[in-house]
Amino acid sequence: MEGYKCNCTKLYWPPKKLPPSLSLAVKQERKGEAKMEKGIKGTVTSVSSMYPAEEAQKAAKRVQDAIAEKQEELERLRDFISDNTNLVTLVQRLPDQLQHDIMVPFGKAAFFPGRLKHTNEFLVLLGDGYYAERTSIQTMEILKRRGKTLQSQVDSLNAMVEDLKAEASFFDATAAEAAEGFLEIREDYVDESSARESESDLLKQISSSSPEADNKTNALEDEEFARIMSRMDELEKEELAAESYNETGEHEETDVSLDSFSDQISLHQVKNSEEPEFRKPPDQAKYKNTMSEEVKSRHHHHQDFTNRSQGNIFPGNVSTSSQKTLMPPEMDKVQAAASSRHEPPLQTSTSKPEFDSQKAFTGSIVEHPYNLERNSSEQTVSKSGSQRSKPVSRFKMQRK
Amino acid sequence: MDSFRQEKVQRFEEFVDGRLKPDLVHAIAERDKVFEQQKIFSDLRRNIENLEKNSVTSLRTLVNLGSEVYMQADVPDTKRIFVDVGLGFHVEFTWSEALNYISLREEKLSRQIEEYTHLIASIKAQIKLVFPFMAMIFYSCPLHLFCKQITE
Repeated sequence: MEGYKCNCTKLYWPPKKLPPSLSLAVKQERKGEAKMEKGIKGTVTSVSSMYPAEEAQKAAKRVQDAIAEKQEELERLRDFISDNTNLVTLVQRLPDQLQHDIMVPFGKAAFFPGRLKHTNEFLVLLGDGYYAERTSIQTMEILKRRGKTLQSQVDSLNAMVEDLKAEASFFDATAAEAAEGFLEIREDYVDESSARESESDLLKQISSSSPEADNKTNALEDEEFARIMSRMDELEKEELAAESYNETGEHEETDVSLDSFSDQISLHQVKNSEEPEFRKPPDQAKYKNTMSEEVKSRHHHHQDFTNRSQGNIFPGNVSTSSQKTLMPPEMDKVQAAASSRHEPPLQTSTSKPEFDSQKAFTGSIVEHPYNLERNSSEQTVSKSGSQRSKPVSRFKMQRK
Repeated sequence: MDSFRQEKVQRFEEFVDGRLKPDLVHAIAERDKVFEQQKIFSDLRRNIENLEKNSVTSLRTLVNLGSEVYMQADVPDTKRIFVDVGLGFHVEFTWSEALNYISLREEKLSRQIEEYTHLIASIKAQIKLVFPFMAMIFYSCPLHLFCKQITE
């Protein structure tokens, strides 16, 4: 039994000796440390795992194809521009003579000998099938404007090609890096001043006895909680293995006796609850039952406190657990069963670690109820954690 | 055995993709060109027939100078027409001569089209033929059994 206790104290979270308010502070700080450590670690990934060499080469090839396409388009545009300039000179020259002898095309495969007439009259397509009759100079103006738009198109295409070339060079570089086996080291930047600020914020919150259980901290707490739970699971399995040879019969009994016991207890609790406006966690009620008057008054004070701070700190924790160890194992079992049934609706996420530590302290007898409780509490965390915490914090803000 | 079959199938596929399909595309492009020629000459024939019917001796048209800029042009004598006979040569014809030539040319073009159509069909047939063979090799099934399976 001594050895077992040792195990439990190791697990105990937060540390037993600390007063509850401080214990929370410690917890927060440790969390901060863990985060920092995680940040400092960073990640190392090889470039080839992120961008395989062949993939990078493929991408580079695709970009090269795109560049070739754009170049073709560019060539076409350049042809248009040269045609346009030729036409401008032609239009400029045509009115020099009254008529020009030309071969007049007749379809695509034939022509007649003929001559151009009215050499200062041009019919220019404006677009969409509309034509305008213009003089040589006016036509030249139109053609020059066309040339300008063509030039702007060429410029934009050139810019595109430049972009694509940069992209291609990047892909080529990536491919080369991947082939050479480069590593990418990535490390999150943690602003020290901001980290310190947040820490001080946390401390402020704690000192004003208002552990704001907003969603974020809830999530963090849940993580931590899950971690602790898994560790405890492991240890309990070990215990089970160690003690199974003399306790096998008892476990079976607990299952059977759960319901009847818990019903009794719940009735008991209702009778004993002295503050009907606040629903109290059943283990606290239980605790009250077993306590002396002196401790009771202290407990009342604490209960107010816990109600105010949405029940996430159990100040009587230490004394409770110490008392419980004195209780007969049967009672402990019953209590656990009761709590497993009645805890979920009341439980807030932040109170869980406390509760578990209590559990862990009470002893090895509570295997089944413990598991049950964990499942149900986890469900409630996911469902009610955020919903429950919000109104209380708002209330707190109003009071401030 | 398996790798040998895979290699075979791969070679067949390469043949289809690298040889037959480009050939097919090329043949289709050639045929389209001939179609265009045919259209040009049929247009020309119709135009000349129009001129004959209306007994037009002089003509005023608009000449495209490029970039959709047109200028008026006068044709004083339409009796003589220069027709493209290929390789950049143009022959001076009268209307009847031109029509004669055009009909000959059209005949030749239609023959060419027929040839290309046959070529395209045969390439398509080859492509279609290769696939069952590939399947046959892939499943290592004898030809007569395979044919039987297909017919059934």
